[in-house]
Amino acid sequence: MPRTPGSRRAFRFPWLSTRQVVADVDAELAFHLARKAEEFAAAGLSADDARREAAQRFGDLEYTRRYCRDEDVRRERESRHMTIMQELEQDIVYALRSLRSAPGFALVALLTLALGIGANTAIFSVVRGVLLRPLPFPAAEQVVRVWHANRSANEARSQVSEPDFKEWLAASRRFASLSAYWYQPGGSGADLTGIGNPERIEGVYVTPGFFETLRAPAALGRTIRPEEAVIGNDRFVVLSDGFWRRRFGADPSVIGRALTMDGVPHTVLGVMAPGFNFPADRIDYWMPLSTIPADGIGRQRSSRFLDVIGRLAPGVTPVQAHDELAAVARRTAAQEPEAKDWTDVTIAPVREAVVGEVRRPLLVLLGAVAFVLLITCANIASLLLARATARQREIAVRSALGAGRGRILRQLLTESLVLALAGGALGVALAYLGVRALGAVGAAELPRASAIRIDAVVLLYALGVSTAAGLLFGLLPALRATSQNLQAMLRAGSRGSVGAGGQRLRSTLVVAEVALAVVLVVGAGLAAKSFARLLNVDPGFQPTNVLAVKLSIPSERYPDERYPAYYEALLTRIAAVPGVQAVGAAKNFPLRGVGEIAPKVVVPGKAGGAGDRELRLPLLHVSADYFRAMGIPLRAGRVFTAADKDDTPPVWVVNEALARRYFPGESAVGKTLRVGQSSIQIVGVVGDIRQRTLTEPAEPTLYIHYLQNRRSGLSLAVRTTGDPLRYANAVRRAIWEVDRDQTITSVETMSAIVGGTVARPRLLATLLVLFGVMGLLLGALGIYGVLAFAVSQRRQEIGVRVALGATPRSVLALVVGQGMTLALAGVVVGVVGALALTRVLAAVLYEVRATDPATFVMVVAVLLGAAFVASWLPARRALRIDPVQALRYD
Amino acid sequence: MPRPSLGLLQGTVDVLILRTLTWAPMHGYGVSRWINDRSDGALAVEDAALYQALHRLERKGLVSSEWGISEKNHRAKYYSLTPAGRRQLRAEVAELRQYMAVLFRVLDPA
Repeated sequence: MPRTPGSRRAFRFPWLSTRQVVADVDAELAFHLARKAEEFAAAGLSADDARREAAQRFGDLEYTRRYCRDEDVRRERESRHMTIMQELEQDIVYALRSLRSAPGFALVALLTLALGIGANTAIFSVVRGVLLRPLPFPAAEQVVRVWHANRSANEARSQVSEPDFKEWLAASRRFASLSAYWYQPGGSGADLTGIGNPERIEGVYVTPGFFETLRAPAALGRTIRPEEAVIGNDRFVVLSDGFWRRRFGADPSVIGRALTMDGVPHTVLGVMAPGFNFPADRIDYWMPLSTIPADGIGRQRSSRFLDVIGRLAPGVTPVQAHDELAAVARRTAAQEPEAKDWTDVTIAPVREAVVGEVRRPLLVLLGAVAFVLLITCANIASLLLARATARQREIAVRSALGAGRGRILRQLLTESLVLALAGGALGVALAYLGVRALGAVGAAELPRASAIRIDAVVLLYALGVSTAAGLLFGLLPALRATSQNLQAMLRAGSRGSVGAGGQRLRSTLVVAEVALAVVLVVGAGLAAKSFARLLNVDPGFQPTNVLAVKLSIPSERYPDERYPAYYEALLTRIAAVPGVQAVGAAKNFPLRGVGEIAPKVVVPGKAGGAGDRELRLPLLHVSADYFRAMGIPLRAGRVFTAADKDDTPPVWVVNEALARRYFPGESAVGKTLRVGQSSIQIVGVVGDIRQRTLTEPAEPTLYIHYLQNRRSGLSLAVRTTGDPLRYANAVRRAIWEVDRDQTITSVETMSAIVGGTVARPRLLATLLVLFGVMGLLLGALGIYGVLAFAVSQRRQEIGVRVALGATPRSVLALVVGQGMTLALAGVVVGVVGALALTRVLAAVLYEVRATDPATFVMVVAVLLGAAFVASWLPARRALRIDPVQALRYD
Repeated sequence: MPRPSLGLLQGTVDVLILRTLTWAPMHGYGVSRWINDRSDGALAVEDAALYQALHRLERKGLVSSEWGISEKNHRAKYYSLTPAGRRQLRAEVAELRQYMAVLFRVLDPA
């Protein structure tokens, strides 16, 4: 008899190959036939006869051979499969048990991972929504934006005038379709009346090719036909899905109905598909461009107000399309004085035009969160290395019991992956909250914010990131743990002794962590500093305690002869509200548009100096009290007064920038500027304000009295005593007392308008600082972890030192010195990395260079400070080591 | 001289093999000899059917196998009963017994 077969099968490894199975079956059957033949030979048959008899008695030998092989092959396959599943199950159970036995480690790892993966998932979902998700129309890669370009004025992306667009359209052969639209957030819209409450709605004014260019058919009804976009037959409107649902409860019978917009009935032609939101998220309607009267927006060449989009003809490259339109522009520039220097066009993919501005900040954020996760991984890898040291004996015992290196490696990696996936699951939950918060904050600041959500692709990304993270932080420690010399480890006695190599590896990881943290914190510091600079910009006016009310006064209701009286009545009535100190009106608030451009202002030449100069200057229509209400200081002369009427000669007030540039060294007051045939006198000079954006210094600007050049849009600045929002209702009532049907477009505070312009930098700075702090804390945690472990490993050594008379000071210096050495190495690497990487931030920074020395110095100081604290705590513990005990516990 | 053997009922080969292996681990030839000896040659299991059954039983996990050295120093494959095989044997014997009892109650004159 052989030795008792028993549990050996459980350890059979590796599994049998098919060839082995075949050989086994053959050998088994051969053995049987040989024994049978022996039987027959013993009964007297010849050897040959005996063999033949045995084979004959056997039955169907070949069939049996095949049958047995098949059964065995199948059994091998099944058992192999089962073994893998069983081992995986074992590994997971084992991983969970081992994580439970180290709750501190598991908790730290889980939470840091959840934060890291959560941040990555949240930012990725934004990137996907804004940058990656397809635009809401087919073959969007063929669609381009076209701008007029004036290279000599360094203006590459100007809007386009109607005459220019018409010439482009007529000459274009390389476009399948070319169209233009006018859209201005908060500016292009209409008063909807006649159904329920009057409401200001936002719209886009388009040429008839607009929907064809985008290949966007109506979901209900149809879009605008060319014959429905000519003056006299253009009172038609296409509604957005959102507006249709909100205002008409998705009632399909709205098609063909007439809506009263700005007092004129417009027939509803169709409703667009739900996702269609070009050029912006919140559009209520699209309407023919021809409905805008020429006295509303001029159609001369100098009135550049159109955005142009085109769909390239098949096979045409953007460069070819550019060349075609640039040739047209050059020709016009040579012929038309008004188009002088406008010799070029700029063409860019429409996606870039939609998301161009936020692309870089978003990618910076994506990079920042990747850094956070890398630091997290380095941290956990470091913790795992420490654990592996403590678990050396356990691993040694397992491999002594017959587990191969691959098997142990697999088990350790399973542990890492279980950790990473659990962290990932938690992270997705965090990301969900984060995306909701971002959506609330960023809706107004991000183009396509409505496309941001956590969907299957984002979840897949989170899964991928978690797995990659698990492998990243698990592989190195696992490889190290399994490469140790088994014998040496079992001999090493009761205590797991730290391998010098393990500690070296952990030190390297800490250096890497600190370096990554430096880059992150430098980025955060730069963004924060830039944001602070932005907040400290003096806008030139006093936004506090100013209520900003926007109205539109339709010329249908208030024709020119009734307008001045209405206008005066409004201002007087609001000024009478108790607590209101001053009321001023302008066409646009600062930071909400530059008013309009006066195309041909002539600065008279001086005797003996340069001749007359013809300029294009921004022109703002303001009321008498505007400067007082906005807190814009008067520098010279006077501002407008009640004496300036529509029937008195018009006068200018100019800003300091204009006075400085065109009347240097002399007083501008009393000088005249010519427009057309009329010479207009400058009566006053006021302080510069930031009109266009907060970051651009004031350009030379003209102010003219409102009554002397009326406009339909009206922005009222109401300076109040104390919180302006407390007066909002009183001001509304005052307006309605004058005309109860006056629509009010918006009521906000001037401070909010200023705040709104820095919302995007604020978002970037806030997120970068958040990630920077995470990186800093994780880096400090890494240093602390390594030192705390080193101290516990070096108890004996420190005990001996203390026993030999080392002072507490020298023990502290020993531990803290080790920590600071690591931190310094990390800082050096990090600063070099930051110098190379923060360059990408340069484009989004305001008045801060990407290599700002002050920021770098501060970041280095903060990191070294954090490193010091992180080293100090374990050092204190080292001090408490009792030499006697430390030595006894050998 | 071999006596004419009894035809075996369907599925009985498996039970016979399992029963045989309760004595000791055996190779296929041993199983065939054992059944032959115990029944004085009355229960003749065909060799082909025996080996097919052995491999089938192994796949089902009712027996396990291992290569060993036979009495005469030949390399041979030894089968032994697994715990699952032991349970299966008990169940099948009980079922067979019940079946036979019912069968004889019908066949035997009252």
